[in-house]
Amino acid sequence: MPRESEQAAADSILPYTIHQKKLANELNVVTVPYPSPGLAAFYIVVRVGSREEVEPGKTGFAHFFEHMMFRGTDKYPKDKYSEVLKATGAAANANTWLDRTVYHMTGNATMLDKMFEIEADRFMNLNYSEAGFKVEAGAVKGEYTKNFASQFTQINEAIVKTAFDKHTYKHTTMGFFEDIVDMPNQFDYSLEFYKRFYRPEYSTIIVVGDVEPETVNQLAEKYFGHWERGQYQAQIEGEPEQQETRYTHIKNEGFIPLISLNYKGPAFSDSDKDFAAMDLVASILFSERSDLYKKLVVDEQKALNLYGAILGTRDPYLFSAGVLAKDENDLQYLKDEINAALEQIKSEPVDSLLLADTKSNQKYSFAMHIDNPEAIAESISFFTWLTGDPESINRYYRLLDQVTPADIQQAANKYLKDTGLTLATISSKEEGGIQ
Amino acid sequence: MRLLKHHLLTLALLLPLGLVAQEYIELNLPKSNKVVIRVMFKNGSICDPAGKEGLTALTADLISDGGTGEWSKSDIDNMIFPMAAYYGASVDKQVSVFTFEFPAVFTDDFYPILKGLLLNPSFDENDFNRIKSSQLNYVTRSIRNSSDETYSKLALEDFLFRGGNYQHMVSGTEAGVNAITLDDAKQQYKKYFTKDNVWIGIAGNYSPEFLQQLKADIATLPALEVEVPDADQAKMPDGIEVEIISKPGAFGSAIYGGFPIDITRSKDEFAALMIANSYMGEHRKSYGRLYQEIREYRSMNYGDYTYIEWYPSGSSNMLPVSGYPRQANYFSLWIRPVQTGSGLKQQYDELKDITLGHAHFAIRLAFLELDKLIKEGMSQEDFELTKTFLRSYIKLYIKSPGEQLGYLMDSRFYGRKDFISEVDQLLAKTTLEDVNNAVRKYLQIENMRITIITSPDEAEPLAESLRKNLKSPMSYSNVVKEGLEEEIFEKDRMVEVFPLNVKEVKIIDTQDTFK
Repeated sequence: MPRESEQAAADSILPYTIHQKKLANELNVVTVPYPSPGLAAFYIVVRVGSREEVEPGKTGFAHFFEHMMFRGTDKYPKDKYSEVLKATGAAANANTWLDRTVYHMTGNATMLDKMFEIEADRFMNLNYSEAGFKVEAGAVKGEYTKNFASQFTQINEAIVKTAFDKHTYKHTTMGFFEDIVDMPNQFDYSLEFYKRFYRPEYSTIIVVGDVEPETVNQLAEKYFGHWERGQYQAQIEGEPEQQETRYTHIKNEGFIPLISLNYKGPAFSDSDKDFAAMDLVASILFSERSDLYKKLVVDEQKALNLYGAILGTRDPYLFSAGVLAKDENDLQYLKDEINAALEQIKSEPVDSLLLADTKSNQKYSFAMHIDNPEAIAESISFFTWLTGDPESINRYYRLLDQVTPADIQQAANKYLKDTGLTLATISSKEEGGIQ
Repeated sequence: MRLLKHHLLTLALLLPLGLVAQEYIELNLPKSNKVVIRVMFKNGSICDPAGKEGLTALTADLISDGGTGEWSKSDIDNMIFPMAAYYGASVDKQVSVFTFEFPAVFTDDFYPILKGLLLNPSFDENDFNRIKSSQLNYVTRSIRNSSDETYSKLALEDFLFRGGNYQHMVSGTEAGVNAITLDDAKQQYKKYFTKDNVWIGIAGNYSPEFLQQLKADIATLPALEVEVPDADQAKMPDGIEVEIISKPGAFGSAIYGGFPIDITRSKDEFAALMIANSYMGEHRKSYGRLYQEIREYRSMNYGDYTYIEWYPSGSSNMLPVSGYPRQANYFSLWIRPVQTGSGLKQQYDELKDITLGHAHFAIRLAFLELDKLIKEGMSQEDFELTKTFLRSYIKLYIKSPGEQLGYLMDSRFYGRKDFISEVDQLLAKTTLEDVNNAVRKYLQIENMRITIITSPDEAEPLAESLRKNLKSPMSYSNVVKEGLEEEIFEKDRMVEVFPLNVKEVKIIDTQDTFK
């Protein structure tokens, strides 16, 4: 039985204890007992994403490799692997993002031994054919093809390509299309990729649900204990400081007119307040509670929506805000309004009550979200890929609590400046034309 | 004294149950930190009056995204922000569901808002204009420019149910939404959001007194004035009919096909059909036959699946969600975007002479696989494995209290008490013979409607190829071709000439869809 009585520290956002054990090969094993009778979520976070794609012509490779992880081993060749996985009755899949690849299975807790066995096998003994490799590349191209219909996919690709010069965040996780078309020719590189990154020091196992830490640790030792450490560390070039505002534009009459302001922002941190402060700025200025939302969306109705966010990333990425416009002739006005809100938060301290409400919103949103083992495992994964330590979840919310109006003003002045801005537009016009 | 108090409480709990007609589904979880309330009205887009398509969705959104008699939308946004309470409406063909989630500690603060929205919505003109223009934006622009897959799926429903009350999108048509007035929304609320056609579900950490209050308040909704219509079933197509939607800028060919089936979760036989469907094309799983043949062996696209009921937001949902129960059902197959001829020509020198992309071949391959299932049935081994898988997998549909509640409420729509546990029992009893009988009874490949979103330069050659049942050889790039086993090519030679019972193929301009 799970330890329902087991309570985490009183000031922890996660009300369940995070048990951690680092194996001799540096593989971190995390267990969170949670009262979900018969159910467990089994996650493996590998800290490799499109950020690690440092070589030219290899963009999109971390994501492609995630596909290859389903292509079998000697013990469980492709078809056998599918059969065994199907027999577990679990919901299993994987996904890749800027800083990580996550493999997950949620299913019957009594199948945990089998889950460990098949995961360890492919993480250590993956063995696909060259033909299988080439065929899988077509599925990635199919994924790009289906994503391309969305205006958000297209503008996001344009924004990062414009905003970054040197850092690998210049390409999306899908990669450049020409590199995707060339993927079938990269078989040898794929073997190298596996050797570099599918290693215990890059990985964390997270198990949440109807489980005991002792059992999980024993299974981890049994199946992953002999996984050999690697040597590789990607040399990721830092992004030089941007000197002036950059512009990117998509002309498309069918798309909904859009303006998006993207500032170079801070990397995620659970100790430095900049990221937490900018996270709060996004909520204060652009949530449905904000003055700007009331003005542009509710009252004037020139904007169909309003958004603002900073993504948690290992290296500095973007703080973004924008709107979808009802009429493309309002794009300049909408940009000016967003700009005025940003200027205000730089020049005046935010109201302390509003700040307290925003913190409350963030904490209760989190608390309501974690109502099943999968949601908890996902939340822990997020903080684990960012810092390598699942306890970061509790540290971050403690830090968020300490952010003051002065911290917000300081961070806003540091990051929200024209020289760090990439302005993106979509309209029927040849050029964006927004200043 | 304690005893008396207990009796009073029991009496209080019993009274409203005897007085009101509403049905309640309760899931008390004292350890939970939140409360989930789902209010499901049996109305939906089939209640939209002719010429006002989209009215039920607009009305539901106006209730959930507007104000109350006491507070404006902005007042409410301010009030609920520190609570992180959230709520919204989701409307389908036959139901409208309002879902409210809030931390249990804020129950007293949040409940007046919930009550105000449902019982005393403000129907403010400014809110109406905002929501109407957002809905109009969806039906005129978003649907064509967000996902060709969703576009082809909704275009298929329009095609399959043409002339019936399931035809139009839940969000309506351009003309329909344009015609809706604020007064229409007020009338729709009075007519169809009533105490006689509502089911209420509550899960989480709530007190008996709170539930009693909720029941008493819901009982004050107006009474039903008009009958809620039944769903119009789709007619079985005569042969295979295809609508190719020509969309400038389309990067691939997105394909959806389907035909009506006279079965829903109400029938016990549904369990047998679930096994066949899972084997053929379980959603987002690599185990399905179509996925293996089209994606895994031939590298043609991102995935291929089959369905025996409506599956909302298939691009983002990994597991089926609740809140979309329906009477009119259809079998469908989803072939995710495959490459067009012009795309392949640009990508590979060796394909510079081809005249057609992969759509026709992919459709033929899917039909061939379906035909094989109908003629040969599943093997004992595949049957056992798929049954084992499903009996475990369906339990993942209800991981959270909200999901559990949603499934319990949908169960009532189908005349069941608890679909997940009942279907688990039915699956346990299902034999291979039951499955193969159900396949032969419900599935076929002679009659189907298919929609394809593709680029203008692909539309004409594809239409020609389908109309004339022309040979459609698979065009592999050299790099893929050199690694494939001979058995793949052998099968390809069967697929490329597999006859399809095509009766009609039309090309439609993207601007002329959903009219």
